[in-house]
Amino acid sequence: MPVTSRTFIRSTILLLIGGLVALLAIVGTTIWLGERSQSFFDEVIEAREARVAAVGLRYSLTQAEGGQRGFLITGQDVYLEPYTAAVAQLPAQIAALESILVPYPQATEPMARLKDAIAAKQREMEETIALRRAGREAEAQALVANDVGRQLMEESLFFLGAIIDAADERLTTGVSDQRANANAQRLVNIIGGLIIILVVGGAALLVVRYTRELTQARDEVRTLNTELEGRVNERTADLARANEEIQRFAYIVTHDLRAPLVNIMGFTSELEESVKNVRAVIERAGGDDPEIEAARLAATEDLPEAIGFIRSSTRKMDGLINAILKLSREGRRVLRPERIELDALLRAAADAVQHQVAEGEGQVVLDVQVPAIRSDRLALEQIFGNLLDNAVKYRQKGRPLEITIRGRQMPGNRVAIEVIDNGRGVAGQDLERIFELFRRSGAQDQPGEGIGLAFVRSVVRNLGGEITVASEFGKGTAFTVILPRALAIAPEGNAK
Amino acid sequence: MSQDIRPVTIIMIEDDEGHARLIEKNIRRAGVNNEIIPFQNGTVALDYLFGADGSGEVSAGRQLLVLLDLNLPDMTGVDILAKIKSNVHTKRSPVVVLTTTDDSREIQRCYDLGANVYITKPVNYESFANAIRQLGLFFSVIQVPETA
Repeated sequence: MPVTSRTFIRSTILLLIGGLVALLAIVGTTIWLGERSQSFFDEVIEAREARVAAVGLRYSLTQAEGGQRGFLITGQDVYLEPYTAAVAQLPAQIAALESILVPYPQATEPMARLKDAIAAKQREMEETIALRRAGREAEAQALVANDVGRQLMEESLFFLGAIIDAADERLTTGVSDQRANANAQRLVNIIGGLIIILVVGGAALLVVRYTRELTQARDEVRTLNTELEGRVNERTADLARANEEIQRFAYIVTHDLRAPLVNIMGFTSELEESVKNVRAVIERAGGDDPEIEAARLAATEDLPEAIGFIRSSTRKMDGLINAILKLSREGRRVLRPERIELDALLRAAADAVQHQVAEGEGQVVLDVQVPAIRSDRLALEQIFGNLLDNAVKYRQKGRPLEITIRGRQMPGNRVAIEVIDNGRGVAGQDLERIFELFRRSGAQDQPGEGIGLAFVRSVVRNLGGEITVASEFGKGTAFTVILPRALAIAPEGNAK
Repeated sequence: MSQDIRPVTIIMIEDDEGHARLIEKNIRRAGVNNEIIPFQNGTVALDYLFGADGSGEVSAGRQLLVLLDLNLPDMTGVDILAKIKSNVHTKRSPVVVLTTTDDSREIQRCYDLGANVYITKPVNYESFANAIRQLGLFFSVIQVPETA
């Protein structure tokens, strides 16, 4: 399936969105899991603190009891030292444990009982110690032996043990929770990574495929272009050949037509000379002989008239042949492309007709803003010289002549030059005819043979261009000459 | 020329009878009375100039002046010119190219090949007659070497 640019863009966007979603999911779950991990950690720390506080309190209690017992037995103050040290720590340790247990309402009531128990135990120990100091040993021992102190101690130790057990359990579950959390994070990372790899891979695959197809298409276009160029060159060569053949044909024909024309003209002159001799004799002969009269008429009127017509016809024919010869010679001329500033060339051409234009109060306006072209200077001068001559020649009588010369760039590396006048114009049915050899249009009040525009068209085509005309009868005429910006010379095209 | 033992013969190679006749008339009018031998195609003219064997020995000792048209039915005058100018026996004979062709390349080519004069036939008869008469005057003064 070929990847069109639209499906390419759509799939790329979809893949990008997929990648983005996967990335967001990874980031989101990572943050969430991180938070969870933080709370697990906090819990573990809390459990540890609770455990430490409980263990510390238990140790102090046992130390205090141990010190009390030692003093009761020995009566020496040395044994009382652990007791005094532990009792000093007790209030702070109890407060610490109590503050840790604040968030656990279920622990409030046992904690209160613990505090009472510890306080009672402390009182019992103080009492026994005081009795022992007073030397009332038996009373002190009886107080110990009544089991109240031991029960209070057991109760306290039991409660602390429970707290330590609970903290231990919290520690274990916290660690395992943390591990599960880490596993979940790893899993999410792996899945997200896979998705991203898939997305990136898919996008890369798509890009590669699309690029390959683009390259293929470009190659195809290039091949087509080359083929097209080849075909165009072939056609151009064909045209050049055909054109050359026509030019050669015109050249041969005109020369072959000239040979008999030389004879006709030559022998007409000979005939004229002979008629003069005959006429001299006949004029001298005199007499009323009708035969001589007829001969005189022939020699003085009929023959000179006939010779006159033959002469004028041959002269006309000579003119036509010369016109064709001029066309064919121009077609065979070797073109010399050079850099030409059209503005300057057209200005010079306009200057050449300036005095004729100015005579009738007219003017020539130039607006030629095109880059320099490469073409044959003489041919261009002939083209625009002819067009401007025509504009002057066929101006509308009684109207000041306005000639506008405009140049503009055209697509396909061409330029268009328009020569627009406000002359008498060309009737619609004559628009194509005016380019034909020996054809003229409109009132035949100007000298000319009907060669100019035929010549112009031939020259323009020789330059690889085209000329068109638009006109409104009585209003004016606009000739448009389209020229390639660079004159292409066929390898042997116009050489012969 | 009259004191020459063997007077110059004018070889006129021209396929158009009318042209040939007009040329002859006007040459005669210029007062040139040399023999004019007309040929209407290249083959016959070459036979005369170079003989049946084509060696050109037949022309040895002749005094020839060639009047040549380029447009001939069987060959181009340029080839005849080249043959005349490359043959030892005929190369010194003056060749006047008189033709309707006024192509500058053709003119150059003829001079390159050794043509002595190149004249384009004027279509206007007066100029044509005038040109031929001038040519006749030229013929009457030109010294033509004897061919080797």
